[in-house]
Amino acid sequence: MLRKASPYLFALPAVLVFAFTILVPIVMTFAFSFYDWNGYGEMRFIGLDNYDRALHDRIYLSSYTHIFIYIAATVVLEVLVGLGLAGLITMGRKGSSLFRVALFTPVMLPMIVVSFLWRFVYNSDFGLINTVLRAVGLDSWTQVWLGNPDTALLAICFVSGWVYAGFYMTIFYSGIQRISKDVYESAYLDGAHEGHIFFRIKVPMIRGLVKTGIMLCVLTGFQSFDLFYVMTNGGPYNSTEIVPTYLVKVVFSHMSTGYGSALAVILTLVIAALGLLANKLGRKGDALEY
Amino acid sequence: MASLPTDLNHRLTSFDQGLTSAKRRKWRSHTLYYLVMVAISCGTFYPLIWLLLSSFRENRDIFMAPFALPEQLNFHNWAEAWRIGNMSTYAKNSVLVTSVTLICILLFASLAAFALSKLKFRGSGLLMLLFAFGLFMPLQSFFIAQSYIFEQLHLKDSYMGLILPYTGVGLPLAIFLLKAYLDSIPKDLMEAARMDGCGDFTLFSRIVLPLLMPSLATVGIFSALNTWNELLLAMLYIQTDALKTIPVGLLAFSSRYMTDYKLLFSALALITLPMIVVYVFFHRYIVAGLTEGAIK
Repeated sequence: MLRKASPYLFALPAVLVFAFTILVPIVMTFAFSFYDWNGYGEMRFIGLDNYDRALHDRIYLSSYTHIFIYIAATVVLEVLVGLGLAGLITMGRKGSSLFRVALFTPVMLPMIVVSFLWRFVYNSDFGLINTVLRAVGLDSWTQVWLGNPDTALLAICFVSGWVYAGFYMTIFYSGIQRISKDVYESAYLDGAHEGHIFFRIKVPMIRGLVKTGIMLCVLTGFQSFDLFYVMTNGGPYNSTEIVPTYLVKVVFSHMSTGYGSALAVILTLVIAALGLLANKLGRKGDALEY
Repeated sequence: MASLPTDLNHRLTSFDQGLTSAKRRKWRSHTLYYLVMVAISCGTFYPLIWLLLSSFRENRDIFMAPFALPEQLNFHNWAEAWRIGNMSTYAKNSVLVTSVTLICILLFASLAAFALSKLKFRGSGLLMLLFAFGLFMPLQSFFIAQSYIFEQLHLKDSYMGLILPYTGVGLPLAIFLLKAYLDSIPKDLMEAARMDGCGDFTLFSRIVLPLLMPSLATVGIFSALNTWNELLLAMLYIQTDALKTIPVGLLAFSSRYMTDYKLLFSALALITLPMIVVYVFFHRYIVAGLTEGAIK
């Protein structure tokens, strides 16, 4: 009897915690999204009105534009830069493992520390960037980097790249390390130089890993919150508003729990669709490799 | 030498020249390589060094000359930030929440991974599907209702209010990694133990858990750092200052002392330094833990 129940007993604690903290809230969020509700008062069923309102919410729609710009920029600044760095540290030069360990350091820092630190770096009065620009006589280039709608989003993307380029570099580094030495040796004998080896051998051999990296970058991009919240909190003029920062405002400042739930459901569906799409594309790509 | 044909002589000297120019080219490419790498590293580290240097200075000096070096290593700012900022409370809370969360994730996930990988039972496929679903769900898809539930159950403003969701968020990935590892262990080992009369629980504690140790380290590093750095839920669920973790504590501190730059710089340095020290000593495990945790 106990024997039969034991698998369930083993799985029980994990299932309980997971169900209580994640599954039930997801279902409830879905249910909330059909109500006009402020979180504590009376709930009024309004069908799909919240969704209709979401599709006409200019700020909400533009937050998707911002997140897609952010994701496109971080794919370049994190994944592609990381790939380039991985190429550099696998050239077999002495001391490259030191660079590898050093460039990973920002990943260790809490995002909140990174956000504050870069708020200072971008500070218009004593920030590093403006000080350097003034020092070299480019006064006209100085900006209120995070206060200008044209530069704020890109400034945040750059910080994200500063943190995660080293992370993707490390992932690709471990992939490149696994390539057999024979492949390089024959290439060197054929007189190939480093640039060739990078584009013709290293990158093609870790194509699968690069794809995984891009997918990871896209999916985690939707989850970013800390950087945006601390550096600009959506401003100036909503130019850096992303779904998570907007959700927090809608639900916890404007107390529109029902409407916020609808926004959350839409985001979840978008991410699920992208996940499925990536999964499908990934499978197709893998099938071609063999 | 004179007997050598001039042609060969000529060829020898050009061979010699070719060698030195190859050497020179190699030397040039090495120099260029190190110049580029050092430039990249400086670019990465300069903001951190600037943070550290500024934390020793006075507000006026930070404003006047951002790049200048501090006149002396003045730890007065640090002491003040630690005291005014309530840092010891925040640090204690972070240690407590992170360690309990970590224990829960590792224990619950290894139990579940064992059941899903080595014991056959009805509904295991469905469970895997649910956890796979959990892997992709962002925080935003559940935090609104979670906040409501926690409010109703009076879990807000308590350690449990953070430990529970952090465990729930960490479980799916932990279960996946541990199950993948257990799947690669041959069944024979388990069968042999069973023949010797091991029950499921003895099998788990005596054989599976020791085998899992290396994977538990990977999962542990990954989960611990995620928990340590989490901001959104901690910000929404904890209002009492005495219960705040480091990220929310820092947020509160910064809103109170937004213009006291030397204190903010000091607080940031105080939080950053221990992490860098940990990283320097355990970088091998941390790098492996974070990258493996992310890819799979």
